[in-house]
Amino acid sequence: MNSLLSIKDLNVSFDTPRGMLEAVRNVDIEIAAGMSVGIVGESGSGKTVLSRAAMGLLQGSNVHRTGTVVFDGHELTAMTRPEVRSHFGTGMAMIFQDPMTALNPVRRIGAQISESLIFRLGMSKKDALKRSLELLQLVRIPDAKSMLRKFPYQLSGGMRQRVMIAIAISCNPKLLFADEPTTALDVTVQAQILQLLRELREDLGMAMVLVTHDLGVVAGNTDYVAVMYAGQVVEFSPTTKLFADMRMPYTEALLESIPKIDHPAGKRLLAIAGRLPDPTDRGSGCSFAPRCRYSQAKCLEESPTLKTDPDGHLYRCLFPIGEAL
Amino acid sequence: MFNISKFTKPTWLSVSWLGLMLFLAVFGSLLPFKSWKFVYENDLGVVPFSPGHILGTDNNGYDLLVSLVAGTRMSVFIAITAVSLGGLIGSALGITAAFVRGKVDTVMSTVFNVGLAVPNLVLALALVSVLATNVDINQAVPTWRRVMVLIISLTIVLIPILGRIARGATLSWSGRDFVTAARSMGMRDRKIIMKHIVPNVLPALIAVAFLAVGVVIIAEASLSILGVGIPDGASWGGMIARGRNDLEYSPHVLYIPIIVLAITVISTNHLGDVIRASLDRRESKV
Amino acid sequence: MAGSGIAHMRNSTDVVLTVRDLVVEFRLGKDRVVRAVSGLSFDVVKGEVLAIVGESGCGKTTLGRAILQLPPPNSGEVIFEGTDLTQLPKENLRSARTAIQMIFQDPISSLDPRMTVKQLIDEPLEIWQRGDEQERSVRINELLNNVGLDSELVLDRHAYEFSGGQCQRISIARALALDPRMLICDEPVSALDVSIQAQIINLLQDMHDRYGLSIIFISHDLAVVKAISNRVMVMYLGKICEVAPPEILYAKPAHHYTRALLNSVPIPDPTRQTRTELLQGEPPSPMNPPTGCRFRTRCAASSVLCTQEEPQLREVSPGQFVACHHPII
Repeated sequence: MNSLLSIKDLNVSFDTPRGMLEAVRNVDIEIAAGMSVGIVGESGSGKTVLSRAAMGLLQGSNVHRTGTVVFDGHELTAMTRPEVRSHFGTGMAMIFQDPMTALNPVRRIGAQISESLIFRLGMSKKDALKRSLELLQLVRIPDAKSMLRKFPYQLSGGMRQRVMIAIAISCNPKLLFADEPTTALDVTVQAQILQLLRELREDLGMAMVLVTHDLGVVAGNTDYVAVMYAGQVVEFSPTTKLFADMRMPYTEALLESIPKIDHPAGKRLLAIAGRLPDPTDRGSGCSFAPRCRYSQAKCLEESPTLKTDPDGHLYRCLFPIGEAL
Repeated sequence: MFNISKFTKPTWLSVSWLGLMLFLAVFGSLLPFKSWKFVYENDLGVVPFSPGHILGTDNNGYDLLVSLVAGTRMSVFIAITAVSLGGLIGSALGITAAFVRGKVDTVMSTVFNVGLAVPNLVLALALVSVLATNVDINQAVPTWRRVMVLIISLTIVLIPILGRIARGATLSWSGRDFVTAARSMGMRDRKIIMKHIVPNVLPALIAVAFLAVGVVIIAEASLSILGVGIPDGASWGGMIARGRNDLEYSPHVLYIPIIVLAITVISTNHLGDVIRASLDRRESKV
Repeated sequence: MAGSGIAHMRNSTDVVLTVRDLVVEFRLGKDRVVRAVSGLSFDVVKGEVLAIVGESGCGKTTLGRAILQLPPPNSGEVIFEGTDLTQLPKENLRSARTAIQMIFQDPISSLDPRMTVKQLIDEPLEIWQRGDEQERSVRINELLNNVGLDSELVLDRHAYEFSGGQCQRISIARALALDPRMLICDEPVSALDVSIQAQIINLLQDMHDRYGLSIIFISHDLAVVKAISNRVMVMYLGKICEVAPPEILYAKPAHHYTRALLNSVPIPDPTRQTRTELLQGEPPSPMNPPTGCRFRTRCAASSVLCTQEEPQLREVSPGQFVACHHPII
């Protein structure tokens, strides 16, 4: 497998007033060109920190990081901030949960899209505007011509996210990071944006990392899924395989607990007991053990390592589902 | 809310300095000094660190340390009274306006904005000139009346400043769901204000009040220099006003009150910032 | 003006809440008025869990608050247990309100950060002087234990020390303190982590069963309300599209908007991805709603009739009411 993004034994922790916060622990992920990977987790699972670290965005005096991130043959972890930035746009691009904060409120949409075209690809202003129009049509914005002249505040949330996507794909990136791209949107608009991302990925052949809290969103939109809990990847496998044959009790419990549209009406939901672990106190043993229905005495003492099935399905559990005790 | 063990050195210095000023203001009269108006006829314009006069004397023969202690009482009294009154009235108006909304708010905001549009010093100057001068110009205005008028003028200057802060903070807090929850429980508006709005608005107000103390001390000094402050040099501003005539021969007469005033204002500003910062931290947690 | 119809109203003696022709408007400047809730009628019977579902801007939150007169609606009736709340003098409204309590979306903003858990739960009890200090203290412990919190551990802590799920439990305990007969839950689980949502929904279900509460459960998510509701009402731009029991609504939606909402919910199963035709566009501005049927600008089935005449709610199958000229049958 020719890997585009390779994360090896990544650990990220922060100094906080409450102590050391271990946000990401021992993460290994390989992403090949054109592949789409979902990173699923709840708050504090480390999914956002992982995606920031993978983009080479985490630097600062309170950040402690070990391990390597290699993107397209370049080691991001050994680069300075400007060097990392030189890969944005053409190498990797990103879209966020709240497009309003990512767009400059006082500049017109046309100017904001052409900016990277002029800066990264050296286009003339005229060509850049022409290309911007094409990009807006590509992300299915109706009446794209008048959109060029608008300001971000005149747009609805869904339109803003489409503009963000247009900017992200403007320089043909090899990898798109989408961090909760639809969380702030209404369901009908979410469905539109997810469909757009699917189609663009097929047309442009770019790889995508989709960070989300929603198992439903990854199910229909990714080739692989990494499930995160308490800073670790606890399960990693092809998406169809994961849903058909999950090995990690957390994934199973999460899937059972989420309210589903095909849940029998009036039937009680299966909740996971307990609460999310404290990120400043990782403790010993399996992080999910206190909430796990299969947990044994051993789970509280011994931290499980990542095991691999012959078919490449990874999981971090001492007593995985489907294995006799 | 405040963790003393996390105070930095500047914070400690500010707290100590303001503590000293407060001590002098309250207990200064108990110190074994002669009246600040006592004239040392043989020691005119003595430089600091002279025997008997640690800070020296001015060209009239007043001891500067004694003057300074007396001035502290006056300046601190004016500042604290004006800021308390301004804060009380301003926050009452601001909180009411923001809580009631509608016409009351429109009127109040307009009043605040007009108040803010008039330069502070000009407003105070006008008020003092009108209220604290006698019809018969040969008759001196009693000091207490000057002080009262000064306090009232400075209070009026402060009301819109603090009122707007209170209004803004109230707007943000009264939009929170816990206020709606309190209403749905049947809590009366007055109690909602006292129990949920005021305690949450207060910290922001205190932070600004510290800054306001600095503003008032400077305003009082400026008015004295313009000749409408406290007569006879019984405040820091008065000392500066009196000392500026002797700048050539006894510069220390001018510098000493200026340094004291400056350190005080820097201290109040710094503490205001510290409170503001600790507040932001708490806010970010909420 | 044409209303959205009243065919779905029940004349049962069990009705505890009747909302009739409710209108709530917001003034945004001189001539700009948004009609967030537009002549809406519905009722709730005793012990029922009514889910109100719609996207942002459909008026569901405004509707929930208008029932409690927070703020009072511009016109219409809100009859709770025989009393029209819109006509009550302020002092009577104050006590009438205690029978209906609210749970909010943001669990942290709904709890005063300066107060301890004990003070938070004591607040309603103190306002109405329910017992002396000791009796109230017993009651506080009982309430906290009911919502699954260990009272000894939480009493003296502040809301910001808790996770979102725990804050929501505290809110529920506080809402139950005055023995309300109805709860209005405004997106109570939307701000919570997915593994916590089911806990809170189940807790609300338990409280419903234990105290015989009627619940209005407001949500943007059809999946969330399915397990708990007895009746689902779908809203769009201040109007009702469809009202039906969940067994019918989820299986056989009659309104095109309901079906679109259902098709938009992501299904956590890669083998069952329906790639049906998606709803295009976004809801129009409530300041300038379309004439006739408000959904027609996004509806594939819209006709000339839809532009001219506003559809009224009518029964298309037993218990299923839909406001559409061309329902899916």
